Amino acid sequence: MDFMDPELKNSPSFSSEQLQKESLSAIPLKGEMSEDKIVELKSNNEKQENNQRTSSYETFEFRANPKEYFKIWIVNVALTILTLGIYSAWAKVRTNRYLYASTYLHGSNFEYNADPKRILIGRLIVVGLYGGFYITSDILGLQTLSLIIIGIFLIILPWLIRQAIRFRLKSASYRNIRFRYFGELKSFYKFFILSAIILVAPYFVLIWAVIYFDNDTMAMTYGLLIVIYMILAFFVIYPIIYKKYQELIINNSFFGIDKFEFNASNKSIMWIFFKVFLWFIVAFFLIGIGVSVIKFFAFLPSSHSIPILRDYPYLIKYFFMGMTTLIYIMILGFMKGISDGYISNFVRNHTTLEEAKLKGTIKPAKLGWISFTNILLLLLSLGLLYPWTKIRYLKHKIENTHFACDNYDKFVADATDDVTTYGEEAMDFFDIDIGV
Amino acid sequence: MIIDAKLYDGVSSKEHNVQIEFTKDGYIKIADFNIYEPISNVKIATRLGNTPRLIEFKNGIRCKSEQNDKIDEILKSIGYKQPIIHKLERSWKLAIISFIAMFAAIVFFLTVGADYTANFIASITPRGTLDYASKNALAQLDKSVLHKSNLTKEKQEKIKKLFKEITNNNPRYKLHFRSAPSIGPNAFALPSGDIVILDELVLLDKDKELRGVEGVLAHEMGHVVYRHTLKGAVKSAIASAIIGYITSDITFLATTIPTVLVTTGYSREFETQADDFAIKRMKQLHKSTKPLANLFIEMEKSIAKRDGNDTIKIPSWISTHPSTKDRIKKFNQN
Repeated sequence: MDFMDPELKNSPSFSSEQLQKESLSAIPLKGEMSEDKIVELKSNNEKQENNQRTSSYETFEFRANPKEYFKIWIVNVALTILTLGIYSAWAKVRTNRYLYASTYLHGSNFEYNADPKRILIGRLIVVGLYGGFYITSDILGLQTLSLIIIGIFLIILPWLIRQAIRFRLKSASYRNIRFRYFGELKSFYKFFILSAIILVAPYFVLIWAVIYFDNDTMAMTYGLLIVIYMILAFFVIYPIIYKKYQELIINNSFFGIDKFEFNASNKSIMWIFFKVFLWFIVAFFLIGIGVSVIKFFAFLPSSHSIPILRDYPYLIKYFFMGMTTLIYIMILGFMKGISDGYISNFVRNHTTLEEAKLKGTIKPAKLGWISFTNILLLLLSLGLLYPWTKIRYLKHKIENTHFACDNYDKFVADATDDVTTYGEEAMDFFDIDIGV
Repeated sequence: MIIDAKLYDGVSSKEHNVQIEFTKDGYIKIADFNIYEPISNVKIATRLGNTPRLIEFKNGIRCKSEQNDKIDEILKSIGYKQPIIHKLERSWKLAIISFIAMFAAIVFFLTVGADYTANFIASITPRGTLDYASKNALAQLDKSVLHKSNLTKEKQEKIKKLFKEITNNNPRYKLHFRSAPSIGPNAFALPSGDIVILDELVLLDKDKELRGVEGVLAHEMGHVVYRHTLKGAVKSAIASAIIGYITSDITFLATTIPTVLVTTGYSREFETQADDFAIKRMKQLHKSTKPLANLFIEMEKSIAKRDGNDTIKIPSWISTHPSTKDRIKKFNQN
């Protein structure tokens, strides 16, 4: 990285040249520092130089405190409801500020700098579209108009997603150096249109074929073809599309002027999807076992001798229905943790920032278990334990993420960053957040 | 007053240990970096738990300090105005008050607030819009589930006469005869005042004068009078927005189940209101709702016959209608 990049010199921040000199030498130009202090700073510098030579993995640390977060969360929810949702944008900023600030790497924490007004604009756009759709379709029954609204939404969707990703990265910084996103709008449209065609077109062709060659023996063949395509889609097409999406995101992301790189083979992502699939089979078995156990106890003849159940026999049915639903929700939570674990590890293990590697050592089964028990905790506490469950989940993910960097002082801000008043950027008007 | 902090210049990721001095005349001084700014030019972030406090300068320099308490003390002593938000977030007492306020607000918005909004929207929605929407809806239903009625002319005329009596000959209300085997014995009203009655229901009425059907028509008229369709749409939109916000992070089922519970609650409320309207209207015409009760008994029988005895009885608290038993009892008393 060239420090004396001509663009950097022209950066609007005051006395930036001076600052650079200072940051290089760590010796103040003017000041009332004592001799010892300078010696201390020098020795610090030497220590840092020693560190530069090693590049072993360092683990991210998550210092969020559930009790502290609970108070922030409850105030957020209360104010959001009392202001009819308007405060939700500010609530999001405070939540993210807290969670980012609690995440440490190499002794320094992350920063979240989003402007809540941007988030509000994004939310208003989405609520407006949804409201328009709801009124036209459900209340007024104007099919054409509601279809037009869906059309508009689909057309601007890739743009909205790109703006949101840009916003999310721009809002984050580490040691006062911002993350950036430079993905092109063109590549987003290309990605979404191609994926939609690949995912949907075969079904249309097959349906057309069924209608066109209308006879029974052929119908079997088409049915078989659709099943084969679905299997192929799950094991081959989805993984590749997912990989392409990560490439679109990560390969256009920057930390300061340093570029992130995502590099994975198709085979490796297909293998991840296959493992998740195997867990799905396990999950189905678990659901089956859970439901049969409940059924066994619920319909045991002896349970009919319990006085309440004798008088109200349908209570057993409700109990059975309720417990079955609970098992489904919990297994869904379990699968969410499993797939999140596998995929997060996969993304981390194939991502580098220049030469520095990321590494994920999340245990998918453990994350699944955390997510599974979180649902139970939420139900038992009627949602009040939400802050605990969230921190518990994030802690396992963050504290199993590692970064191998030889020098944490070497990163440089992008000179095109407008460092204006109060560090607030002159963002494009449509840098918004829709919460993807 | 001096605090320890880390300084990041915004140009490189290098960390500098600095001391920030707050002078008595309201300036912030960082000697090592030649910074001497009035505090009004500096943005000191609101405290957020015990996370390092951010102090931002106009040129993009940022400092972070872990000495939150000391900073608060200094800011208080120099009279720097801090937003109220951290005070709310800091104490358990206020957290509990927030929780109670939130709970009260949710209950308020789901009951009085939703009612008020729905009434307001119903009052500003022009008749033309409702008529247009209803015409659309009926056309859609005709295309999909509704078929032509097979009732005899005689029977239709009889019901039309009853309908005129019930609606007091108001031209706003129009009666439509249809049949729909897939729906079963039922009737429904559209916001425009179009009321559709299905053959399946008429055929169940054993009363010679078809007074059970008359009661049903009065009930449907109640839905129109109180604008239940529009209010229901508005109220359930409000409910799903509120519940969705609270539960969105968990799973979709956590959102769906409470939303269904709340919206079916609204629906039961509307049905009860329409039942009461029917009773009142029939009373005005000096008629009894006993035949309506009988019609309900017949309906229950026919549904049981269709579905068999093995169906799981839907408990009243997740049903869209009040329990049939209670309704029959109420109609029998009038």
